[in-house]
Amino acid sequence: MCTGRVDPALVADAFVNGADGVLVIGCYFGDCHYITGNFMAKHKLDMAREMLAYAGLNPTRLQFRNLSSAEGARFARHNTEFVEQIKEIGPLGTGDKVGMPQLKEKLEIAYKSLAGPKLRWVVGKKPVFVDDARGNKYGEVFTEHEINRTLSGIVIDEMATYSIMAALEKKPAAVKDLAKELEIPAPDTLKYVLALKRRGFVEMDGVEGTSPIYKFKSAEGGRC
Amino acid sequence: MAEKKVLVLGAGAAGIQAALSEAAAGNKVYVAEHFPSFGGERIPQDKIITDGDAFTAPDLATFKSNDNIEFLRNADVQALVGDNGQYKAKIHCRTPRVDPEKCDECGKCITVCPIHMYDDYNEGLEWRTAVDFFDSGSGYYNIYKEDMPVCQRTCPINLPIRTYVGYIADGKYAESLAAIRERLPFPLSIGRICPHPCEAECNRQYKDEPISICFLKRFVADYELNNNIEPKIFQPEESFSEKIAILGAGPSGLTCAYHLARFGYQNIVVYEALPQPGGMFRVGIPEYRLPWEILSKDIEFITKHGVEIKCGVRIGQDISFDDIKKDHDAVLIAIGAHKGMSARVKNEDAEGVFEGIHLLRNMALGKDFPITKGKAIVIGGGNVAMDVTRTCLRAGFDEVNLLYRRTRKELPASPWEVDAAEHEGVKFHFLVAPQEVVVKDGKAVGMKCQRMELGEPDASGRRKPVPVEGSEFVMDADAIFGAIGQVTDNTIVDEKYGFTFGRKLNFEVNPETFETNVEGVFASGDAATGANIAIRACAGGMKAAESIHKYLRGKK
Repeated sequence: MCTGRVDPALVADAFVNGADGVLVIGCYFGDCHYITGNFMAKHKLDMAREMLAYAGLNPTRLQFRNLSSAEGARFARHNTEFVEQIKEIGPLGTGDKVGMPQLKEKLEIAYKSLAGPKLRWVVGKKPVFVDDARGNKYGEVFTEHEINRTLSGIVIDEMATYSIMAALEKKPAAVKDLAKELEIPAPDTLKYVLALKRRGFVEMDGVEGTSPIYKFKSAEGGRC
Repeated sequence: MAEKKVLVLGAGAAGIQAALSEAAAGNKVYVAEHFPSFGGERIPQDKIITDGDAFTAPDLATFKSNDNIEFLRNADVQALVGDNGQYKAKIHCRTPRVDPEKCDECGKCITVCPIHMYDDYNEGLEWRTAVDFFDSGSGYYNIYKEDMPVCQRTCPINLPIRTYVGYIADGKYAESLAAIRERLPFPLSIGRICPHPCEAECNRQYKDEPISICFLKRFVADYELNNNIEPKIFQPEESFSEKIAILGAGPSGLTCAYHLARFGYQNIVVYEALPQPGGMFRVGIPEYRLPWEILSKDIEFITKHGVEIKCGVRIGQDISFDDIKKDHDAVLIAIGAHKGMSARVKNEDAEGVFEGIHLLRNMALGKDFPITKGKAIVIGGGNVAMDVTRTCLRAGFDEVNLLYRRTRKELPASPWEVDAAEHEGVKFHFLVAPQEVVVKDGKAVGMKCQRMELGEPDASGRRKPVPVEGSEFVMDADAIFGAIGQVTDNTIVDEKYGFTFGRKLNFEVNPETFETNVEGVFASGDAATGANIAIRACAGGMKAAESIHKYLRGKK
């Protein structure tokens, strides 16, 4: 399989199911049979690594390396090296930012975000803007720097959005309780919840005291 | 009688009502609305408009279907002139950036839009995506984007600052420099001397301090120079044979020549009166601020595009303006402002009183200057005055006094220039106005001055200095320099053409096209705007090149 087709969600799924490390090995840059497959892989895995690191995973656990299919000895060396690095960190939950039960929950949310449409679309546009310097339809050139900054913003947004949805799926809650539970600033939580409401993912359940209570509506969402 | 045209500003409930009644009276109605949809700010956040529920009275169906009503979305009125019956409005419609023909309202764009911003419909209480719909009935989607980043909008030549600074952050120096050279052929020089109005507007300053836009430009340009990278010469696809004369090889003239060469004009001749090209870059800015080797690299880059520069040709002496006009299809006057303004003090024609710009020019061209020792007085507070004081010290004067009639706070010079001048030992005298040159044996020996104090703010918003009675004193001087502004030497053109001139003797031009009132003659730079900063002169040159191109292509 071409590394360009390695879905970030697959990688996250491996970690959710208990893998201690994932090593993706692709062709050398410039040697791709499909011309840009390995560049695509790099963009996707960079983004996945950022997302998983934000969720609390040690970023060393996900690596992308280049190799030709004729280099057996190097393949073995890469593998040994990677396994040794992972052994040094230890099993999942040690050497990561958060401990085990929470890490799994967070990784599940990261999996959902990576499987969602937004990150896929934006990371799919990255090579169009970065590798092809003609810019968009209006001739505006976006630098790698800017795309990465935008991607980092989406990583934070998507993690917050999906963790709010996961929390509301368990039980309806008011914004202030959600903010406390998820450790997101309350004004931001309100904005995320309102955006979810507009898109039809959550709805109002009633009012408790002075705070509206929101509940999960559907994973499909409304029209938009 | 022709049908009446009515412009309604704003498409809220009242605007729609007014439009409907005017249309019913048989008039053609234009409705301009700042937002992308009618309904003003009354649009609810989740359901936008369903007919008959957002408004009580107006008939939206008629409004949409009436042929006599034209709805202008995303429109801002920029100017409104005229009187009853003949108004003229200039309306700026921002592009929606979504093709309504192709959009089928699937709504996927909103799901995946990476940019979120404060929702202006709900007073910023929640976020919305940059792409959004506002009117579910019409399928009208819209990407909200400001036209230019604030730095780019502030820059007179609209350099793509966001792009080239971003490229530097990515380490792509060649691309960055190419982005600058799309518009500006002087990255080395401007990177050194620009007073960078862009940095004063930079949004980063609200966090810590503005991005060093100007020195980043200098950095990429120097990177190419120091690594001996051959600059890439733009090869135009078309070529035109019209002859174009450009008078003055300064920032404006050379920028114009550069852009014309990029359009594909083959016969561009730049006439320069001084023995060396560069204009005010060469003779107005002292060498310690802009080294000549650096400037010559920029000029070399321009001449490599096929621009011919003829130095030492003064219009009116070596060649007449009539000949120039007769021999060329288009003429650009970019002669700058090289004549000092008079200080309007008594005895100012005495020996020992000079224009500051005269000293700068002589020092730059390596010529002798009559007096270069003793005490000097410089009058003025702009960047030119700072250059003159510092050049005086370098020329050999022992003491340099600068007179300015307001306080340090009101000094128009850039603060870093003032600090540098003070550091080098220039003595500043604030709230001092010159009154009369003291003359002995036909020579200036001092300046009679009067102390001032600040009074009420005047028309320009600055506090007007008022004299303090009985505070006159005499300051000794061997040489007195006026640096209070420059005017254009407009004697190169004959009166018979009927050029009109402005307050600074500058050529009056159409501010959009830079064309003078004489056909085929354009003017740009200081000659058109009055003395101003270099980057504005370059911007004028670029715009003049565009309109010369349009003028010559349109003539065919």
